[in-house]
Amino acid sequence: MAEKYDAIVVGAGNGGLVAATKLALEGKKTLLLEKHNIPGGFATSFVRGRFEFEASLHELCGIGPFTPEGGPLKKIFDDLGVSDRIEWVTLDEAFRTMTIDDGSANFDYSLPLGRERFIAKVQEYAPGTEDVCNKLFDLCEVINNGIDFLSSIEDFTSDTLKSIFGEHLSFINIAGYSVNQVFDTLNVPKKVRDIFGGYWCYLGVNLDELNFIHYFTMLHSYVVDGAVIPRTRSHGISCALLDRFEELGGEAWFNSPVRRILVHNNRAYGVLLEDGREILSDYVVCNASPYNAYTKLIDTNEIPKFRIKDLNAKKLAVKGFAVFIGLNRSYEELGLNNHTYFIYNTADTRRQAELMKRRDTNSVQATVCLNTAIPDCSPEGTSVLYMTSIFAGDNSWNDVTAESYVKTKREFADKMITVFEKATGCKIREHIEEIEIAAPVTYAHYTDAPNGTIYGFDASGTDTIVHRIANQAFGKKIDHLYFAGGYTMQCIGFSPSYTTGNLAAEGVLAEMRKEAAAK
Amino acid sequence: MKNTFKVKSEGRDILKTLNVVTGRMLDVNMASAHIARHPDTFNVNRIAKQLHPKSLKLRIKKVDVFSEDVKSYILTSAEGRMLPYFKAGQYLTVELKVGSSVLTRPYSLSSSPRDSLSGEYRITVKRVPAGFASGHILDNWQAGDIITAYPPEGTFGYEPLRDAKTVVGVAGGSGITPFISMAEDIASGDSDFNLILLYGARNTREILFKKELDALADKCDKFKVCYVLSDSTSKKYETGFIGADLIKKYAPADEAYSIFVCGPGPMYKFLQSELPKLGLENKYIRFEMSSGRRDLAIEPGYPKDMLEKTFSLTVIDRGSKYETECNSSDSILCALEKAGIAVQARCRSGECGFCRSKIVSGEYFIPQGVDKRRIADARFGYVHPCCAYPLSDIVIKIN
Repeated sequence: MAEKYDAIVVGAGNGGLVAATKLALEGKKTLLLEKHNIPGGFATSFVRGRFEFEASLHELCGIGPFTPEGGPLKKIFDDLGVSDRIEWVTLDEAFRTMTIDDGSANFDYSLPLGRERFIAKVQEYAPGTEDVCNKLFDLCEVINNGIDFLSSIEDFTSDTLKSIFGEHLSFINIAGYSVNQVFDTLNVPKKVRDIFGGYWCYLGVNLDELNFIHYFTMLHSYVVDGAVIPRTRSHGISCALLDRFEELGGEAWFNSPVRRILVHNNRAYGVLLEDGREILSDYVVCNASPYNAYTKLIDTNEIPKFRIKDLNAKKLAVKGFAVFIGLNRSYEELGLNNHTYFIYNTADTRRQAELMKRRDTNSVQATVCLNTAIPDCSPEGTSVLYMTSIFAGDNSWNDVTAESYVKTKREFADKMITVFEKATGCKIREHIEEIEIAAPVTYAHYTDAPNGTIYGFDASGTDTIVHRIANQAFGKKIDHLYFAGGYTMQCIGFSPSYTTGNLAAEGVLAEMRKEAAAK
Repeated sequence: MKNTFKVKSEGRDILKTLNVVTGRMLDVNMASAHIARHPDTFNVNRIAKQLHPKSLKLRIKKVDVFSEDVKSYILTSAEGRMLPYFKAGQYLTVELKVGSSVLTRPYSLSSSPRDSLSGEYRITVKRVPAGFASGHILDNWQAGDIITAYPPEGTFGYEPLRDAKTVVGVAGGSGITPFISMAEDIASGDSDFNLILLYGARNTREILFKKELDALADKCDKFKVCYVLSDSTSKKYETGFIGADLIKKYAPADEAYSIFVCGPGPMYKFLQSELPKLGLENKYIRFEMSSGRRDLAIEPGYPKDMLEKTFSLTVIDRGSKYETECNSSDSILCALEKAGIAVQARCRSGECGFCRSKIVSGEYFIPQGVDKRRIADARFGYVHPCCAYPLSDIVIKIN
């Protein structure tokens, strides 16, 4: 009979690593299981020739280098005791955003991080818009206060209600609306919309549908609190978390895929590994997506009907595509002066989302030159560039076969390079020393992402972040099973994934305390 | 708050917010109570599984004997599945049980990617003097046998977005195999580049696949082959070692070209001193990684007093602990294999990362040029055991 764990964490992605480390920190006997040979999930890197490429992180918010107390993610990392194992580099630039297919209406804006600097720069492009810019950032503060208040509620009393409909009424009023609906109310001029909307491809939902609160908490976090990147790629964060977890006595098993999360009488009690080993635990934290968990890992008969219906009422988010390029010239020589380039076909985000359904119409890209932040991230005289595109619609990439796959992804990468050169004027093609291309198939291969999505469930319709938070208490759940990661309540992103890992562990710990008290 | 923000009007805004709960519940209630779509049924996921199965069971369909020391093996799926398509130049990893050892070896596919679509792979194995795996395969593998393999991997091959339109291939001995795959890929129209192959062998008897290569060169004007004999002279062939002068003679004079090299260690050593004479940029020169045994006695930086020592090797694997030992001349991977401990390993040259493991304690040596670790891995004590040699007793966590 194998020994029993207090908790098993399935998947060493961002959510799983934080959940496991927190549980170990609280003295719980924790087993972290990962099917790959490395931790991190999307938070990883790979080496080609003399370059080490970041696999997914463009910039990290939540560390908050511009805030005196640091951001909420910094607090999580501090509490876990991992902060001193990660070296952060503070970014200076927010983004450069441009369009290429809008003819004379094409724009090209470069924005710095920091509220004051950001607004000052907007004035160069759209003079006289200071008030509306300030209003937008002020609304972010209102939202953050509202969120802080709501998450601080322990007992719901008449005073709570009074506060909600008193000082937090603005927050309540705004909660159901999209970015563009709020822009309309504030009569935000087009240029300001285009600038403030620059980050939208990081959530993959067009601004007609993207929840205002969701988008602006993210934007605020980046622009006002500042953003960082880890010096040794996101793999450095993953290694730091794992290192701390093992130091705290946690056990991590790699190359150990889970076949089943064991559930009986609506309660999770362990896992069955692919190799046939059964391991018991009081709690299970699942960092695999709920989609995979409910379709592959848990016996269908043990899943509450509500969870399946809820799953069916979700939509998969956009698929990912990335080109990783090692260049044999320095970024200065090539004129790669920006850290993040957003290159859209059009400023009309709804139309852009339509164009994203097909390879021949899409060429949206978020491209990062890491050397602008970390000059020595590649050997002297070289630079690295990552281009990420996204594809909307369940059917994009359905025409690809195993045989045509490599050619197809190469053709699209080729187009992304052409578009980048055309938009920026930087000539990179002849300097490509290493290139690797990741398509939706690649993400499906490495992360088991359904349909190759990189953003989890689409945060639109009745499944926006506000819907998820407001409805989290509803519907029957499997007891002692907690979910963490980018498919859960806080939607996609590094910071949300770490945060939900922390929340999952807090959930487990609270339940443990409750049960201990009941005994 | 004195100025409450409204989007439409107070009443409509609050209704809209309340609808966040009711609207969602409505959608959930209307949804089916049966899983609408299993994730494995998406085309994208299907292709991922088809291209990257966990392992392959292959049947040896046919053995082509060049000699007692060189044989080709035609492999087909023993499970009736489609073989994963691959990129010309990639290798197949085969699993072997030799006595009590469990090991894997990478072999470049010597067949065309297109052949995999009709269900065939081919690898070619040449006996390595005192080699552990090659001898076992040559002396034991028979038609009809079933082997376990891992799907094609590797980054050695033509990439149009990166490489020059013309590639000068430099092959030595059994290093010819990936180039056959590339030439076939060109001839079938699946790759579009010019391949000028300089193939070094000791004498005409040691030239493998000559008929096949000549036939390919005949039917395809994008592929040329030139044989270079080192130990015999012949008017029909070039003689000597393949160096800068010979490459210059065959390479295009007025356009950029890439050089791809695959062959034995001494050839690499020679070319590393020769190629700088051509003044090519780094990006135009690619060596297939060499997975062969390393002679530590001549490795720069290796502490010579460590030769011929034996250290203890403690292996932590999913809550179990094994004790074994490791000769200083063996890579840690090699010691694990000798001890019969199955380890994920593919390229054996520090590149693929499959064997990445944590050194819990102990000192080790990594030869120059094969330390392809991520920065954070080096910092947190991870190694690729295929390229790490013990300098003390070692405790390693392999999974």
